[in-house]
Amino acid sequence: MADAIFLALSVITIGSAIAALELRSLIYGSIALMGTLGGIAGFFLLLDSPFVAMFQLAVYVGSIAVLILFTVMLVKRELIFKKVEDKRRKFVGIALMLVFMVALGSIIMNSGIKTITTDEPAVDFRNIGADFLTYYWPALILMALILTGSVTGALILARREDVENEQRTD
Amino acid sequence: MSVIAPNFKFSEFVKSILDNVFWILLIFVLIGLPAVFIILFYIEMPVINGELLTPFLALTWLADPSRTLPILKAFMTTDLFKIAAFPGFGFAALIAAGTIFIERKMLAKLQLRVGPFYCGKFEGILQLMGDGLKLLSKEIIIPAKADKPIFWAAPIIFVATAAAFVALIPVAPGWVVADVDVGLLAVFAIIGFFPIITILSAWSSNSKFPFIGGIRALHQMVSFEIPLILSLLGVVILTGTLNLSEIVASQSNFPWIIFLPIGAIIFFITILAELERIPFDLPEAESEIVAGWLTEFSGMIYGLVQLGTYLKLYAFAALFVVLFLGGWSGPMIWPPFPEEIITDGIVMGPITAKIPGLPVFSQEMLNGVLWFVLKTVGVIFFILLPRGVFPRIRIDMLLSLGWYKLIGLAFVNIFIALGLLYAGVLGPGGIL
Repeated sequence: MADAIFLALSVITIGSAIAALELRSLIYGSIALMGTLGGIAGFFLLLDSPFVAMFQLAVYVGSIAVLILFTVMLVKRELIFKKVEDKRRKFVGIALMLVFMVALGSIIMNSGIKTITTDEPAVDFRNIGADFLTYYWPALILMALILTGSVTGALILARREDVENEQRTD
Repeated sequence: MSVIAPNFKFSEFVKSILDNVFWILLIFVLIGLPAVFIILFYIEMPVINGELLTPFLALTWLADPSRTLPILKAFMTTDLFKIAAFPGFGFAALIAAGTIFIERKMLAKLQLRVGPFYCGKFEGILQLMGDGLKLLSKEIIIPAKADKPIFWAAPIIFVATAAAFVALIPVAPGWVVADVDVGLLAVFAIIGFFPIITILSAWSSNSKFPFIGGIRALHQMVSFEIPLILSLLGVVILTGTLNLSEIVASQSNFPWIIFLPIGAIIFFITILAELERIPFDLPEAESEIVAGWLTEFSGMIYGLVQLGTYLKLYAFAALFVVLFLGGWSGPMIWPPFPEEIITDGIVMGPITAKIPGLPVFSQEMLNGVLWFVLKTVGVIFFILLPRGVFPRIRIDMLLSLGWYKLIGLAFVNIFIALGLLYAGVLGPGGIL
């Protein structure tokens, strides 16, 4: 049963990833991207980690895909796309992808993943939270600072002095 | 007689119905029954009490009243019943239908109108059925340049997402469709789908009013999701769990609204914004952009979107009840099932009917459902009330409310929860 679900999820994830790259319509491409991200959430559910799966759905499908859709709808596609396509670029791209896949695969295979026992109970999300606040607290603080910095930077970049306070009466 | 159908004759109407019944019966007997038996021939039937369950035996049991109740009770424990009927879709759709009628009638009374009045003999009580039949029989018009696949799929996905939200709500102890460990996170994940569906359906109808409405809906939903999530963290901090049933069970003594009133108020305001209700109904502002992102919908597609909207309303009200008002907990007011019916059976003169399998529902469950429905209806009433009172606010006011005031207040709420926790008042090991 789990194998069938795994195969179906793999087909959905990889198929919609290819569709996201190849579809001419940007909206359908971003819908396919949502399929990919949702498929990855399904993998997390299969791996007994619903906490990560729910965050994958809430953050990637719920926020990032919305932002992509928003951008695609508001920006004229001629401005961001110039259709440059020849065979050489395509083959180089495929070769690059294969190199990356082999490299990542060898890293994962050598990381001791084969020795993991699969019958252990799932990690409680309370342990994840406790680890974040105790052993990994510098990483948490660093992430928070980076996020704050990027949000502040985005606010400053998006600020337009010329149209401010034009319609506001209060 | 009537203007709408001048050639209407009652006798012909009855004759047409009898005709249809005759043909349905004939076709069922000639084709349906053999098909059922052919299918049953290939299915492996279960063995119950040492007997092979043949179709004949199953029909005998169904017809025997002393066996019907246990079969019914066995069916009620199945997932299908939970998803389709009681804590899931059917129950929520019933409450949603009631909400639509109450909303129209109550708003009319608030504004000194009569509201639905003529349909049905008493106070327009059949108006909803009439509206449903009208929507079912109306033609579905699709704009010529619409993106058809998304336009068709969006309402169906909308209802499905709302139903998935409903499935997470615990109604009574043990009566929940999906009792997941990370229930609240699943709620956040599902809420995140609504803006996508809205903007996709708005874009697909290829018309300017839906698109403006969709963009407004996107702004509004995305910016109010953040205070919504933050306002619920106080409850999570105090209970130490994300499971909705456990959150309800933690409120057996007092509801969290006593200790976290600010969180409850923020959550209520964000509910209004997420549901696009007045005063935050900018996506559907009928005086500015026709009907917002619903403009191009017609017929049952519109009906599906309305159903999804009211399912969402029920789910949000129920979530408020679960998190802040104590869910199903309340004093026991449901009368116990009479003992003598279980032991002696129902005595009617010379006849005594012993019915095994009673009571169908336990007293706790019925009491819990009663309290849950009472609280939910109360919250729905307060969600409906602003519609009769308030005007619509501007979008810059909406965004500044969401991004400045509500997020700030949500952090205040989180610090109140942390203070209560670290002072040792509440939470695991607290004095209360």
